Amino acid sequence: MSMFRAKKLDLGCYVNIRNIRDHTKRKVYAANEPERQALRFIIRNTALPQRVRAQAQLQLSQMHCYTRFTQIKNRCIMGGKGRGVFSDFRMGRYQFRLNALAGKIPGVRKASW
Amino acid sequence: MAVPRARILDLMKVQCRVFNTTFNPNRQRLGTRILHERLKGEAVASYYPPRIGTIKQLQALYPEYQILDEKEEDRLEHLTIARSRGKENPKKKRTAAESKKFTRKR
Repeated sequence: MSMFRAKKLDLGCYVNIRNIRDHTKRKVYAANEPERQALRFIIRNTALPQRVRAQAQLQLSQMHCYTRFTQIKNRCIMGGKGRGVFSDFRMGRYQFRLNALAGKIPGVRKASW
Repeated sequence: MAVPRARILDLMKVQCRVFNTTFNPNRQRLGTRILHERLKGEAVASYYPPRIGTIKQLQALYPEYQILDEKEEDRLEHLTIARSRGKENPKKKRTAAESKKFTRKR
């Protein structure tokens, strides 16, 4: 959502709205992670009273969807693609090939035997 | 040779103290697993490279030097020219009465 978005562009990679959105979600997730984990702990702890746990469940389910990790998707930093992205290189498969052949990725060379 | 349960519990207690875990002989679900998880937010948030090397950042880093932002100056110049010709953006309408598009002026 736009209320979480940075007022000024803070991405140095390929920019499209999907990349910006994903970046926003990542930042929101990082900011809310301790709270989510605390609520999760209260929910899983059977030694606590049932009422407290139910309240924690409610609170967790009412948190904004951007605070959820499942919202985050690895996208290509060179072309913004969402599929076929190598997480080690943060690039889509074709961008990875182009950059690897150009020698821009250290430690990667074309296999030949 | 059977070891009494009390001895084993003592051992477990010491084990928990040494390895800094929760002593939980009844195997209750205490959710300590979640407290042991590492926070990954920082690593997740730094996936995309930050925007660096902008002229504003340069200006903030070296205030003693005069660094020209050509694009920004061009924009401001264009704005002042447009304003002098009366071609600036219309003022923001604040009330509903102002924003009525088809109000007839007679």
